[in-house]
Amino acid sequence: MASLSTSLSTAVQALMADTGALQVTNNNIANASTPGYSRQVAVFQEATPTNDGTSSVGNGVVLEGYQSVRDELVQNQIQQETQAQSGANAQLASMQQIQPTFTTSTQDIGTEMSAMFSSLSSLSTNPSSSSAGQAVLTAGQNLATAFNTASSVLTSQQAGLNTQVTQDVSQINQLTQQIAALNPQIAELKASGQDGGTIQDQQNQLVLSLSALTSVAVTQTDNGETLTTGNGTPLVVGSQSLALQTTTGTDGMQHVLDKNGTDITASLTTGDLGGTIQTRDHTITGLLSQLDTLANQFGSAINAAQAKGFDQSGKAGQNFFNIPTTVAGSAASISLAITDPTQIASSSDGSAGSNGNLANLSAVQKTALPAGQTPGDAYSSLVFQVGTLTSNANAESGAATSSLLQLNDRLSSVSGVSIDQESTNLITFQTAYEAAARVVSTIQQLFSVTLAMGTAAAG
Amino acid sequence: MRVASMVPDIQYAMQKSQQALSVALQQVSTGLRVNQPSDDPAAAANMVVSLAESANVDQYTSNVSSVLPQMQTADSAISSVVTSLSSAITLGTSGANGSETAANRQALATQTGSVLSSVIAQANTSFQGAYVFGGLSSSTPPFAPASTNFTSTQGTVLFPLTATLPLTAGSVTTVSDAATGKTFAFTVIPGENISSLSTAIAGAASAGILSAGTTATINANGQLSISTNSSTAGIVVQSNDPVLGSMAASPGTEVANAYVYVGKGNVNSVQVGDSTSVAVNIPGDQLFTSGANVIGSLNGLITALQSGTTAQIGAATTAVSAALNYVSQQRIPLDNTISQLNDQESYLGQEKVTLTSQQTSLVGANLPEAATNLSQAELTNSAVLAAAAKVLPQTLLDFLK
Repeated sequence: MASLSTSLSTAVQALMADTGALQVTNNNIANASTPGYSRQVAVFQEATPTNDGTSSVGNGVVLEGYQSVRDELVQNQIQQETQAQSGANAQLASMQQIQPTFTTSTQDIGTEMSAMFSSLSSLSTNPSSSSAGQAVLTAGQNLATAFNTASSVLTSQQAGLNTQVTQDVSQINQLTQQIAALNPQIAELKASGQDGGTIQDQQNQLVLSLSALTSVAVTQTDNGETLTTGNGTPLVVGSQSLALQTTTGTDGMQHVLDKNGTDITASLTTGDLGGTIQTRDHTITGLLSQLDTLANQFGSAINAAQAKGFDQSGKAGQNFFNIPTTVAGSAASISLAITDPTQIASSSDGSAGSNGNLANLSAVQKTALPAGQTPGDAYSSLVFQVGTLTSNANAESGAATSSLLQLNDRLSSVSGVSIDQESTNLITFQTAYEAAARVVSTIQQLFSVTLAMGTAAAG
Repeated sequence: MRVASMVPDIQYAMQKSQQALSVALQQVSTGLRVNQPSDDPAAAANMVVSLAESANVDQYTSNVSSVLPQMQTADSAISSVVTSLSSAITLGTSGANGSETAANRQALATQTGSVLSSVIAQANTSFQGAYVFGGLSSSTPPFAPASTNFTSTQGTVLFPLTATLPLTAGSVTTVSDAATGKTFAFTVIPGENISSLSTAIAGAASAGILSAGTTATINANGQLSISTNSSTAGIVVQSNDPVLGSMAASPGTEVANAYVYVGKGNVNSVQVGDSTSVAVNIPGDQLFTSGANVIGSLNGLITALQSGTTAQIGAATTAVSAALNYVSQQRIPLDNTISQLNDQESYLGQEKVTLTSQQTSLVGANLPEAATNLSQAELTNSAVLAAAAKVLPQTLLDFLK
């Protein structure tokens, strides 16, 4: 049978539940702009009703607790997409710095190469002219410098990325430590049936930061999240973080080793670390190798053409360019071997005024190098590759950004704090609180009436 | 879908529209659709090839410009030679007239001598310091007066040159013989001395390269003396060996009206198109001393006028006519080359236009389109900003009292 005391107790529980709900709303509003925060809701449940055998009467509300609203699947997709975006961004940043060197300007390799052939052709109209000869030397020097500059841009970019690898690994280790430290706390909360709440939010945010650095696979276990890299190298197991290490490899580059010392460099493909390694070890190495091949074969072809002729003093043509014996490093070290215009092997027969061999030198422009293309075409392919790599990285980064926006919208639609909604909740819970308070005051009046009724009887 | 906050979407939209605006602005301000390889990798790569072709066309055009005046100079020199030969024929024809006195013929011979000098001057025509009929050796006059004896500047009575004196390795001494029309070149290899040179010259004389009796000896003054027996033709000796010093004609040994071609026989070709080259310098020997020998025929006419019979003068005049015909024929390929160069110049002009328009279509922005894109991008950007300004400040709180 219902009593005033029961009703008062129901009203007090309602006040407490509404206070809790107001507190959650307050916390949601306070964290509306906190990155990684998942909105919380107060979980209300009907109190067990009182049954007197004939009828059942409700006993009000019970505040069960607070629940963060999450979507693990979307959270996971965001992590994956962040890895792709960071990888593409790492590549894009490097390519954007490399690209100007291969953009047509007054001193790119293509322009300097044309200038050199023009100067040779100009010399053919007056092979004894020292000013025309000097123009050939200057053009040759400029071309060598253009090769040197392009090579230096690529290698310094590579060196920068190499430093980035060490920095990324150090950041990854810090993050995995922090993630591992949160695992026992979350496991404890879950064991007691509670929601991970803000600690889970913190961990998710750390995993997201980690995803920006490398590929991460997340598995939920009783001991919290287990994290592995894309190829299965464990990073976090329970409360333990397994630090990655770096060491200088035989190629002079920083290699990434797992806890057991196994080299996992090649398996890292996404995230900033993956993008950095791919750009360092594949993209730039590939471009450098082609640039070296071009410099070496072009230099050799010009030297071979020089050797077919004779200089102004009738001597067999000596090397025009100094090129190293190995192809690697050719673009970095190619330099002009002759210093005097009279050393240009213009003559085909040893007589001073002959220009016969300049045709051989000029023919290098239209002759395929051993790699299969003419020097101009080889350089043009290089430009095409630089352009394609940059534009692909740009497109990948753009696609990932747009995809991330969609995913974040989806996550936000689940977990994000809407100020309008919280304002409405505020009104709802305020009204509910006021109503419950009114119940308390009504019951208080009823109690007074009841007590007065007793007093009147006694009097 | 529940929307918690529109801020990220609005920020993304603003960034996108600003990027589009920046691209449109860049295209309009530079006039280029491709400003860097990533804008269109294939176009940027084709541009590299196209620019190289443009540079070649520019250079070919410049080559035509520098070769053409040289060829025109040569043509005008040959034209003057033709005029000179015509006047020599007139002189010869009047000399062949039996009524002419010996004194008149002598005067005619002197005038013919002037004609020869003028022909030699034309044959030694230079253009911007280069002798147009010198073959490859364009820095020295190709026709030099012949002498019977040349002596070295090195060597004195006190310090005479000796047969065993080593010569400078790599140095070249040439003996050009007007009688044989050939040049013997002696390039010193290490260990050779003056005696080696003498032996080589004797060998060349017996081989017929030089006239019989051409010798190299050390004379009473201690100098190297290279001389020939051929008193009507003579030789020209040149040397770049510092041991000998330059070789100079001995005073009084000059052979009247005899000239030797000391230029080179080879020609230089200059590229004026991807597969077009023109021979630029004409070897003077081919033009003036071979075939119907221009200089020889004039020399013959002078000799005939000085001491020949009417018939001999007539024959010599006929020889000069033959030389005139020969030179006129030789002029035809030169005229053809000049006309080819003119054609090539206009072809290159067209080619340049074609390449430029190719480059514009490769990387150039279509300006009306770019301008439209720019105003479109401006409009989009303003719309995004206006929408943001309208949407962002709106919250329920504005309406709650």
